[in-house]
Amino acid sequence: MKTRLFFAWLVVGIPLLWGVMKTLQNAMKLFQ
Amino acid sequence: MTLSFLDRENTVAPQRFNRFLVPPAALAVHLSIGQAYAFSTFNLPLTKLIGLKASAPEDWKLATVGWTFSIAIAILGLSAAVFGRWVERVGPRKSMFTAALCFSGGFMVAALGVHLHALWLLYLGYGVLGGCGLGIGYISPVSTLLKWFPDRPGMATGMAIMGFGGGALIAAPLSLLLMEHFKTATSNGVLETFVTMGVIYLMFMMIGVYTVRVPAPDWKPEGWVPSVQPKPLVTSANVAVEMAWRTPQFWLLWVVLCMNVTAGIGVLGQASPMIQEIFNGKVSPAAAAGFVGLISLFNMGGRFFWATTSDYIGRRNTYMVFFLLGILLYSTVPALGHSGSVPLFVGAFCVILSMYGGGFATIPAYLKDVFGTMHVGAIHGRLLTAWAFAGVLGPVLVNYARQYQIDSGVPKAQAYSVTMYIMCGLLLIGFVCNFAMRAVKDKYIHRAPATGSAPRGSAKA
Repeated sequence: MKTRLFFAWLVVGIPLLWGVMKTLQNAMKLFQ
Repeated sequence: MTLSFLDRENTVAPQRFNRFLVPPAALAVHLSIGQAYAFSTFNLPLTKLIGLKASAPEDWKLATVGWTFSIAIAILGLSAAVFGRWVERVGPRKSMFTAALCFSGGFMVAALGVHLHALWLLYLGYGVLGGCGLGIGYISPVSTLLKWFPDRPGMATGMAIMGFGGGALIAAPLSLLLMEHFKTATSNGVLETFVTMGVIYLMFMMIGVYTVRVPAPDWKPEGWVPSVQPKPLVTSANVAVEMAWRTPQFWLLWVVLCMNVTAGIGVLGQASPMIQEIFNGKVSPAAAAGFVGLISLFNMGGRFFWATTSDYIGRRNTYMVFFLLGILLYSTVPALGHSGSVPLFVGAFCVILSMYGGGFATIPAYLKDVFGTMHVGAIHGRLLTAWAFAGVLGPVLVNYARQYQIDSGVPKAQAYSVTMYIMCGLLLIGFVCNFAMRAVKDKYIHRAPATGSAPRGSAKA
């Protein structure tokens, strides 16, 4: 069950983190 | 595999099921449908389908393409209200499955509209069919999460609804990447991107469909004992959906949500031109895009932060914070603009947008407190009509107030001051309604044993 839990969060976590990272990169232009 | 796999009775969780598997299932749906907030990335390419590099005379106009998003949001509110009872009855798996078919089907029909250059197909596909996917998908995991997390309802729904904010952060760069990938000498890649996104979102939402489970009727978190001490505005009883919207509490909460959303959505839509006009010459278009990204992050983070905070300080107090802090920040924004301090201005809007997101994420737990869990999903669905209303009111107010100021000879940099004071007024109305919230009267309480599903066909519970 723990492995399943890990993979379930991984599946949603990776795209979310990618989106957050891309947005942060974009947001940094505000302070440059 | 038959479709009985989707039935509520086949989704009851086995013993020892880990309830923390349900939030990622809900996130899989909300991260997908959150794409709607990034639809604007298609607006310009959709106006160059024939001309490719520049719009040809027979190309669609930006204003007409812009209606696609408005239709989708209006249908979101309507479908959540209309299908709320059905979602409660059939359970989360079947409703998530339906939402996935509608949402990805919407992309496919929209792609056909692009192929045939038929605007009505774009409206029908992404706007109507996709909008139904948005509405059904938005409410489908909410009541399930509230039942799995009676000890932390705010945190649970905050996690899911955070996904709706996060979906745009994924979809915006993904859309640009796909359009760039599919671009050829004869196509700007929109059609292929629509088809690809339809397939990706269908598969991603199916992960949620497969993973989601409902708790057994007598299930409780291990070691959790419901509080015996009555809390103000927290009921242990249930109000049926047909009765709920006859209560003053429903309409007070409708106005609370509507005012909170109106105050945020108008600014969100105008954020880029607003910061460039207020700080004329100091903020470039690229930096303004960064500002939009930053407030989108706070919109997403606020959904989890404020909804979780509401588990500790109470829903009513959380909204009190939204309205009072919102009024304070909105009233100081004109002064921050005049002072020329970009960081303070940006900071104020980050907090404001976190509370905009927080309002969405805290409302399901507020409804659960006031009306009980029995039909909370259906009641939530009906309350979301406030979002559809605010989606029109907010941008119209901001645009109209700005234009009126400019037409009256006010410099562009100061044209937003009146808008900010209007927002303060809206938040004050929300504050008064939230302040007026009281427990639901006994005559509205459901007397029959609570069931997880809405009564079929009956007008009264």
